[in-house]
Amino acid sequence: MAANQVLPSKEQTLFRHVVQNYESKQYKKGLKAAEQILRKHPNHGDTQAMKALILSSQGKSEEAFELCKLALKNAMKSQVCWHVYGLLYRGQRNYEEALKAYRFALRLDPDSSQIQRDLAMLQVQMRDYEGYVQSRRTMLQARPQHRQNWTALAIALQMSGDLAGAEDVLQKYEESMRQTPNRNDMEHAEAVLYKNTIIAERGEMERALEHVDSVAKMALDKTAVMEMRAQYLLALDRNDGAVEAYTKLLRRNPEHREYYEGLEKAMGLDRSKTEDHQKLGEMYHGWAEQSDRVDAPRRLPLDFKTGDAFRQHADKYLRRMLKKGVPSTFANLKQLYSDPEKKETIRELVEGYLSEQPQANGGAERSEPNGSADGSHATKSKAQDSATTWELSVNYFLAQHYDYHLSRDLSKARKYIDRAIELKPSETDYTYHMTRARVLKHAGNVTEASKAMNEAMEMDLKDRYINTKCAKYQLRNNQHDDAVATMGLFTRKEAVGGPLGDLLDMQCVWYITEDGEAYLRQGNLGLALKRFKAVFDVFVTWEDDQFDFHSFSLRKGMVRAYVDMLRWEDRLREHPFFTRAALSAIGVYCLLFDQPQLAKGGAANGEGAEGAAERKKAAKKAKREAEKAEAERKAAAAKKATPAKKDEDGEVKKEDADPQGVELLKTAGEKPLEEAMKWVEPLLEMSPRSVEGQFAGFEVYIRRKKYLPALKCLLAVYSTDPEHPKCHEQGCRLRLALEKLDESLPEKVKQIIESEFLQKFIPKGSVEENNEEYLAKHKDSALHVHGVVRVRQALHPDGSGGVKEKSAQDLQQTLGSEGTNLTQAEEGLRLLNEGLGADGKAREAYVAKARERWPEAAVFRVS
Amino acid sequence: MDIRVLRPSDIPHVQQTNITNLPENYFCKYYLYHALSWPQLSYVAVDVSRPKKTPYDAPKIVGYVLAKMEEDPADGVQHGHITSLSVMRTHRRLGLAEKLMRQSQRAMFETYGAVYVSLHVRVSNIAALALYRDTLGFKVGDTEAKYYADGEDAFSMRMDLDYLRNEALDEESEEEDTVGKDEGGEVGSAGKAGDGVDGPKKKEKKRKVRVGRQLGVGELVERNESSKPTLTNGTA
Ligand SMILES: CC(C)(COP(=O)(O)OP(=O)(O)OC[C@H]1O[C@@H](n2cnc3c(N)ncnc32)[C@H](O)[C@@H]1OP(=O)(O)O)[C@@H](O)C(=O)NCCC(=O)NCCS
Repeated sequence: MAANQVLPSKEQTLFRHVVQNYESKQYKKGLKAAEQILRKHPNHGDTQAMKALILSSQGKSEEAFELCKLALKNAMKSQVCWHVYGLLYRGQRNYEEALKAYRFALRLDPDSSQIQRDLAMLQVQMRDYEGYVQSRRTMLQARPQHRQNWTALAIALQMSGDLAGAEDVLQKYEESMRQTPNRNDMEHAEAVLYKNTIIAERGEMERALEHVDSVAKMALDKTAVMEMRAQYLLALDRNDGAVEAYTKLLRRNPEHREYYEGLEKAMGLDRSKTEDHQKLGEMYHGWAEQSDRVDAPRRLPLDFKTGDAFRQHADKYLRRMLKKGVPSTFANLKQLYSDPEKKETIRELVEGYLSEQPQANGGAERSEPNGSADGSHATKSKAQDSATTWELSVNYFLAQHYDYHLSRDLSKARKYIDRAIELKPSETDYTYHMTRARVLKHAGNVTEASKAMNEAMEMDLKDRYINTKCAKYQLRNNQHDDAVATMGLFTRKEAVGGPLGDLLDMQCVWYITEDGEAYLRQGNLGLALKRFKAVFDVFVTWEDDQFDFHSFSLRKGMVRAYVDMLRWEDRLREHPFFTRAALSAIGVYCLLFDQPQLAKGGAANGEGAEGAAERKKAAKKAKREAEKAEAERKAAAAKKATPAKKDEDGEVKKEDADPQGVELLKTAGEKPLEEAMKWVEPLLEMSPRSVEGQFAGFEVYIRRKKYLPALKCLLAVYSTDPEHPKCHEQGCRLRLALEKLDESLPEKVKQIIESEFLQKFIPKGSVEENNEEYLAKHKDSALHVHGVVRVRQALHPDGSGGVKEKSAQDLQQTLGSEGTNLTQAEEGLRLLNEGLGADGKAREAYVAKARERWPEAAVFRVS
Repeated sequence: MDIRVLRPSDIPHVQQTNITNLPENYFCKYYLYHALSWPQLSYVAVDVSRPKKTPYDAPKIVGYVLAKMEEDPADGVQHGHITSLSVMRTHRRLGLAEKLMRQSQRAMFETYGAVYVSLHVRVSNIAALALYRDTLGFKVGDTEAKYYADGEDAFSMRMDLDYLRNEALDEESEEEDTVGKDEGGEVGSAGKAGDGVDGPKKKEKKRKVRVGRQLGVGELVERNESSKPTLTNGTA
């Protein structure tokens, strides 16, 4: 090492203080000491690096990077500098660069266990299993006395796909153990079960069974052992044993479907065979008899029973639940509605109950009234006698029945829910008022729905559930301020950024998403994008959250749970929370591409006059709010001596410099499709079977003129759902795009398109002809007509050939089709407005007709 | 409604259920911390009757219990702690909370040898109090003033897990018997509260640890050691 990098002994001591200060988070002290050294040795790289590390811990990451680069210039060969460089990158989640820096540091100091460790953690975080296995081997060699190191290598091997290797490592460690571990040795108990999962993953059920039996006594997770045994026995067709094993499990937890499925299989029973139904029925009856409080064995037979047997069982089940007044009865049954016959039977039964007196409900099992067995709590409304409970439950059930989309008749739903409310269940039980609001929402009356939900909330202000519902309905009605105020009744008072700040902090994804969607609905693209980005960031945090567990879990020894987590994190973004935000965000980016003026706060194309006015109003309001926020921010900053809030770690909580998303929108407008790809990639990778995801992918790729990827998206849907109306639309649009190409495509691409697409899926004739034929075939389906209209738009963007009029006509027609629902009708209006830029007359005609059918829907009310 | 152990993949929905029902909320990482430290103790109630909307529907969690073992018990006695419990309004009064609690309690006993389980509850929370005291058999201990962020007091409650020892013995002696014999109302009513509700015998020494959010995640998950740089004297 260069001479100027060697410190005299006094400074060496000081340097050690810096390090200690850093480790104990005494950043101020550490900085002081570092500066003291630097005063005498201004070019001492390691000190600079340490100072940089402290700075970055204080949130000054730019300064930190600069300093660290300087440190590296001064001490290219210092592993400390490289290590810190890596840590800084890791802090910024730039894992690639961090990895390179660690590698460098390790080359300079191959024996450093700390660098090796950090490298390994990064490798597993990045799923570089090859590298991770290597690191783990090295670490094991350095410290074979620690069991953790063996387990870690086994995990690395397992995740890299080498199950035999993983088992071998675990085996070797076990063989090397000199004494049998203590009965309460959690690490051992868990490692043993972990090994068993590996044997099972190798598909060696026989051996897995033997092994689990041999370790059962020392295992502490008894449930897991019992489950493993049951699975292996079943896989090995040892049915008697499996019956016994599942029976034991069910005794411990009779509400777990998987156990019943196992038991059925072990008993050789098959739900799809009518001849087995008798036996299945008896089996479930036996379990139902065991306890009055168990639901699963009572509910499950409704899944397979049919005809009269179904009717009888449903009757018994319904009576029992309704008599008890179980509010989730409908939720628990609605799955059965996919079978129209079952749906009808349930309706008939429950409508029949209306005329019955509760005393007459023979056939129900004896059950406790709506209180506990010892009747000890007087908190229940005593006045609620069984007759009222019954009438209430029946009306409530029917209201939900007629509100459900598969059996919807909203006027009936309203009748029943009003009846339930008349029965005046209790002053604080808002259940029925809540359902009333829901029915209103389904009628499209978002304003009244929001009011009604607010009334429900006021019945029980201490209950967060109804508070949540109320806020959601307010958002559906675009009442952002009200929604924030509502949520504010339960958020932390001290949270930075008020209730919204708390919700962002607490990763309240549903709220952020709904808020964004509401902004999108009103054309406030800046705030919409801002919210969707917040969801995106929540997922980044969730991904990053696993980092600490790579080491934590090894110390804790809970290996199976850790492996489970790794696998979940691998698929994190297949979560519907992600997909929903992704679809909306991608929609915004496509809009920004199509109408770049929107990024500058302009109005959307072809928007009706009042839409534009509305948007202007919104923009003005947003500007006012932005100014207000800015003024407040300045005032606050002026008042405070400390510039920003710090949490205990001394980390700075950054203030939001762009609360209205203005800057965000501007940058998004510069390269909307690139931004969109940040969502498209994970969406297509994680959720390839999501039809919506593929359609969204297509929209982005076709705008980017990436025809093969666009085709790939389209084909993914063709292969599963070729009749989907979007297939026609996007298929036509792709053809048009190909026909209009300026440059011709490479021969190979052409061939693929020809053989995989045109020849396979496209009928003879021009796009125009196809489209009109398609319309003739599907003119009663709103979704299909929407597709046709979009294709016409693509064919005649200038509106030539009378397409506007034709399309307006066809869209209006769909309003008369029985199958058209409110959402589709709304989409039709959006097409008329935004896509077609239809004239006022066509619009009015559409709205008038829609209003006849959905008289309460808010979207059709203003005119 | 299915009752099963909580898996990491359930966490987004558990988090949503929590923030829908309760004012005490946590980051994902805090749930992970529970799921990866004591994976046997937390349970969820899943609505398995929901018609599927997409191929990627996540299990809809309508209730959960988030539980842990006390890491350094002040009284030196191994015991579990309920961090959070809630059930969606639409699914209350179905016995879900009770079932979740019983599964968790058994796991505390079986896996970690927990002697008792403790929890805190708002003094105004009638439903939860009834559940803990009357249905499950918890005993009310001290009142902790201003335990919650909004200034409300908490009852500290606990329950001995002795009864599980007997259950375990029963189970073992039954091993010899044939399968499928009638269990009576075992599943539901076992462990219903006895009559006399005394205060706790042993007074637990209280550390002032507030549930949840007051703790930063940094403190929850042991300090990430990887942020220490290598230090080989710096003068090598
Ligand atoms: C407390 C809570 C978890 C109970 O959930 P639950 O699934 O409805 O409870 P269960 O159905 O298992 O109830 C079991 C027993 O508890 C008692 N109980 C539950 N809710 C009750 C209520 N509202 N009033 C009186 N007793 C009640 C009853 O004895 C009940 O048995 P029973 O129905 O046979 O009479 C639920 O009300 C909730 O989530 N509340 C909001 C969140 C909360 O307060 N959590 C507790 C924080 S410590």
